[in-house]
This record gives sequence, C-alpha cells and structure tokens, in this order.
Amino acid sequence: MSRRNWVRLDNASNIFLAARTDVDPKVFRLGAEMDEEVDAGLLQAALEEVYDRFPLYHAVLRRGVFWYYLQDSDLIPRVAPETEPSCSPLYQVDHRTLLFRVLHHEKRISLEVFHALSDGTGALWFLTELLAAYARRRASAPAHPAPRGPRPAPPLHTLTTDSFAHYFRRRRRPAEDPAHAREFTRDAAPAALTVAGAGPTADGPAGAAPAPPPATRRRGRVHRVRGTRTPDHRTRVLELTMPTAQVLALARTERVALTMYLTALFLESVRRAAGGAADRSRLVASVPVNLRQFFPSTSARNFFATTSVEHTFGDDETLDQPEEIARSLQQAFDAEAAPAALAQRLRGLQRVERSPFARIVPRPLKDVILGLVNRGNNRHLTVAVSNLGRVVLPEPADSQVRRLQFHVSAARPQFCAISHGEHLTVTFTSPFVETDHVREFARLLTARGVDVTVAAPRTTEAELAETEDEEVER
Amino acid sequence: MSTCPECAVQVEGDWTRCPLCAAALSGGGAAGPWPVVPLRFSRRRVLRVLALASLAVIVLSFLAQLLFQPEAKGLGALRSTWLGIVTTWLVVVMAISKRRNIAKAVVYLVVAAGAVSVYWDYLTDFSGWSLTYVVPIVCFASIVGLLLTVRLIRMETADHIVYTGLVVLLGLTPLLFLALGWVGTWIPSAICGALSAVAVVLLLTVSGGAMRHELAQRLHL
Repeated sequence: MSRRNWVRLDNASNIFLAARTDVDPKVFRLGAEMDEEVDAGLLQAALEEVYDRFPLYHAVLRRGVFWYYLQDSDLIPRVAPETEPSCSPLYQVDHRTLLFRVLHHEKRISLEVFHALSDGTGALWFLTELLAAYARRRASAPAHPAPRGPRPAPPLHTLTTDSFAHYFRRRRRPAEDPAHAREFTRDAAPAALTVAGAGPTADGPAGAAPAPPPATRRRGRVHRVRGTRTPDHRTRVLELTMPTAQVLALARTERVALTMYLTALFLESVRRAAGGAADRSRLVASVPVNLRQFFPSTSARNFFATTSVEHTFGDDETLDQPEEIARSLQQAFDAEAAPAALAQRLRGLQRVERSPFARIVPRPLKDVILGLVNRGNNRHLTVAVSNLGRVVLPEPADSQVRRLQFHVSAARPQFCAISHGEHLTVTFTSPFVETDHVREFARLLTARGVDVTVAAPRTTEAELAETEDEEVER
Repeated sequence: MSTCPECAVQVEGDWTRCPLCAAALSGGGAAGPWPVVPLRFSRRRVLRVLALASLAVIVLSFLAQLLFQPEAKGLGALRSTWLGIVTTWLVVVMAISKRRNIAKAVVYLVVAAGAVSVYWDYLTDFSGWSLTYVVPIVCFASIVGLLLTVRLIRMETADHIVYTGLVVLLGLTPLLFLALGWVGTWIPSAICGALSAVAVVLLLTVSGGAMRHELAQRLHL
C-alpha cells in the first residue's frame, strides 16, 4: 500500500482555481517549432526521461476540506497529437489526471500547463529540459528511433530535512522512495515560503535605489474590452513573429525595455480598435514580475507578483504617442518592480500564506471569496501582458529550434512574448473573436519598419468553413 | 506564405483572407503551423445544465408533497408513483455526477436513500417503516457492496478509505434508533449495527494508518 506525498496548494495558486471558467481554464502553453517534423516516439522517450527529474509534474490536484492539495502520483504522461483547441482545460474536479500535457503537431512541440501547478518560468525549465532531451535523441538517431536505454538514475541531491510536517506525527512511516518523496515535497512547496528572509535588504540588484512610495491609485473609469465570445469558448490565438533585432532597436531608441515598448503599442492598439470608446478612460495593463530574479528560489511553483501600469489617453497628442507612453510606463513599472517594493509584496504573500484566517476558511468558501476578489481585480484591468524574455537553449536543442511560442488562455485581451535566436514571438489571446486590436498592433509595427508574420488557428465558424470548402473542392 | 496588402504582414497557412483584417491575401499559402480543430459543443456544459435542471425538478417534487393532505382521496398510488420516479431520477443523477469515485457515490446514495425514505414515511403518517427497515437494509447492503467493490476493482486505499469510513459510521446509526426505541422490529437494526461495528474494528486495525494519513491531508489547516 503506498502512502502518497502531498503538499497543500498555496494561496497564489488557489486563485487560479477560483478564477477558472469555461472561457478561461487558466492553462498556458509553451512551445517550440523545430526544424523538422516531430518524431512522437523520440518525444515520448524524452518526456519520460525529463518527467523523472521533475517530481512536481507528477502531481495530481485533490480537494480537501480547507485546501486544495497536490498529491504525488504514478501516472505516466503520454505525448499526443494536437486535436483540441490550444489551452483546453486540464483540471477537472474528481478526474485524477496530470496537470500538464505535451502535444505535437507537424514541427511543433507544445507543453500545456495548468497555472495552479507552475508559472511560465517554472514551465520553461521543464520545456528546456524536454527540448534538450529530444534534440539529443534526434541528433544521435537521425534515421531510426533510438531503442530506449536504461533510465538515468535520479539525480542525487543533498537535501535538507523535510520541513513540512504533513502527517500526523504518530506512527509516521518512511515512504517507499524517500529520495523521490523529499524531492516532491521540496519541489512542490509554496514558492513564497522557500525564500528565507524577505526584508527590505533582500538581495536585490546591487546599487538599486530605494523605491519611491507607490503611487496612489488614480480614480477614473477603466476601459474594458468587450466583444463576441468565440463559438465554443476556445481561446482566440493570433501569433505574430518578428525579428527580435528590429523591435529591440525601436525600444532602445526610446531607452525602454522591450516589454514596456510592446505594452505601449498594445494600449495604443486597444485605443484605436475601440474607436473613441477608450478616450479619456484609463487603460490598465497587468504585468507579472518573476520574483525568482530577486529572491532566489528553486521552487518550480508559482512565484510571481503582478504589477500594473496604465495610461489615460487625453487631448495632448504628443503625450499619446506610443513612444511617449512607453517612457512613462517604464517609469511607473520601474517603481513598482523595484526590489524594495517587491520585497514588500513577497512579505504580503508570506503573511497571507501563514495567516490563521486564511487557513480556517473552508475551501468552497475560499473559492467563492477568491473568485469575488478576482472579479473585483478584473474590473480594474484592460489588458494583460507577459514576457518570458530571451531564451537560450542548450545545444543541440538550440540549433534545432526555429522559434518558441508562449501564450495563455485569457479572460481579457492579452499578449505573451518570448524570443529565441532571431525570432520574437508575440502571441495575442482573447476570449473574443474580434481581432481589431491585433490588426492595429501589427500595423503599428509594420509602419515602423518591422517585418511581421502572422500565424493563427482557425476559430470562427466562417474561418473553419473555409477549410471544409477547400476539402470538398479537392 | 501569403501577404496582406492592407496590414503589410505575411500570413502563414492556407488562409485566403487576412486573419487580422479579412482583406483578400495575395500569393498562395502552404499548410500552417496550427491544426484545424472543428467546432464542438461542450459535453461538460450540457451535463452540468441537465444535472442542475434535474435537481431543481427533484427538489420541487419533494416540496410539492407538503401541499397535499394525507387523507386526500386516491393520493396513495399517485404519490407512490411520483416519488418513486423522482427518487430513481435522483439516484441516476447522483450516480452519473459521482461516477469518477464509486465510494463517494455510495456515501451519497446512503444519505439520499435514508433521507428520502424518512421523508416519505413522514408524509404517510410516520409509521416508522423507514427507520425499522429501509435505513438498516440500505446501510447493510452498502457496506457489503462497498467492501466487495473496492477489492474487485482494486481501488487505491487512499481513494476510498474516507468514504468507506463514512459509510460504516452511517451503518452505526440504526443502533441509535434502536436505543431510542424508534424502531418496530429490532432484527434489521441489530444486524446492520453488528456488521458496522465489526467493520469499524477491521478498518481501524487494518487501514488505520491510511485513514489517519488521508484525514490529515483532507483536514490539513
């Protein structure tokens, strides 16, 4: 009889369960386009190798009286051809399934992850390892699938003792595989609690200036994008690929980071697409910040803080140029994402994690409260952006990958950016069929001399009917 | 790759119109990087709507019984048929919605069957048949059925232990009815109580550790 390891889900991850809907199942996708068609057999072998080294990904989600918790499982993931819309639901109540999937379609390998399990950075570690293992197999066996060798021994970690008292103290028995058990517990621990001291002197970048006090929330109506829902509630995805160097040069001219430059273009696109409805209201973009860069943590769990930046389009046209917006967004973002401000957020996260009140509230009630909190927050957001930055893969994977993809199921228009080599991929997702804001975004870029390529899955009835007509003609 | 003259972008895939602005594209396209996924309705959404609608009808049907006087003429047969159909429906809805975990389904079944029979008894002048016969027999049958099933389908201990524990505890309630003198014949309650007592002892000795582990997990603060 096996006694499975488990850890409770932290509050930051709980919000994804509470905010999960039919339209937005809180699933995100990271993917890579290879130089050749994907070999499913090699991919499966690579997945099994990597899966052994990522105990967190063995987890299934279960419901307790007060918490959701992640429980270790014996399930083996299977790679599958892509037959469902991207970011289809992964977690369903009472289904004991893994919280990620690996898909392939022609040249693409996609990793889809339920957001309660991990965040983009955590998932990127997994994808990197997966691509490396796949590319190694591909390089060593160009013609035939390699016979599956003995599995590499699990890595030896010098582990600290398990700090989580998960069982009743009485009659605690050793688990069957203590090394795996400890790895699971360590990897699955709430990330906020893995950081020792988050005082104001926490290891921020050297010489960082203390943050100015956070600006008081400005009042005023926040513009929210409305539209027609997609017919079967699948996420609308539009993927723009462009040369990294061209966009980076534009951002550097304005002395702003790429994320803020793209965000400024996004806000301007939303304004143009709204046709006057967004004038004089606040356009707010939520921007997650990866906390690992300031507070080192090995946890692959969710470990980010959300900040928001905003702009109000007014009468002064010089202030409303995307370049000018980018500069003011960058200023606001620098203040919000300063180490001191982030340390304060981290302390907040830890406080919530340990607060007795958050503990004794029964889970169904927690879901309702967090759902309401989330709805309240949504009312103050226009769009969301997320940038995983430039990714360098280990060889031979790096040379086999043409470009990377990253996008997330969305409750509001959103873009996710990732770059690899010469290609920057900016993927727009939205619960609505309308593509006006993406059209404006692409046109803003092409007007600035950027070469943009669009790739998109067919989503509306008309778009899908077109392929059926073609098949009939053939 | 084809080109959109309006947006000045290149388009991957076999689109004839620009996915951004719907203008006609120039140049031919090969297959794109995305698969074509046909539209489908959500089975989950359909099931949820049907389950909620069914529950509403069932609850209303039970409440409607309170409107009739017990001595109304010809009510007996009508009420039996009506409640019989509604109860069957309730069992079917529960079985479908809890099909993922048979042990959980049995807990729901015992509670629902017990509650419906007591309510039914109350509607028909409360002669005590529900507590004397139905509740002990349902509990007895559930304990035997559950203990056999979890072994036959090789269910993992952790997945059923809490529910098995609950069913066994429910099996002790007929002893309470017996002690309070609410039952007519003592035999069904005594048999059910005895079986439950044996099962409690067995569970605690054989699976006590698993039970504690599972409860620690579920009740973790």
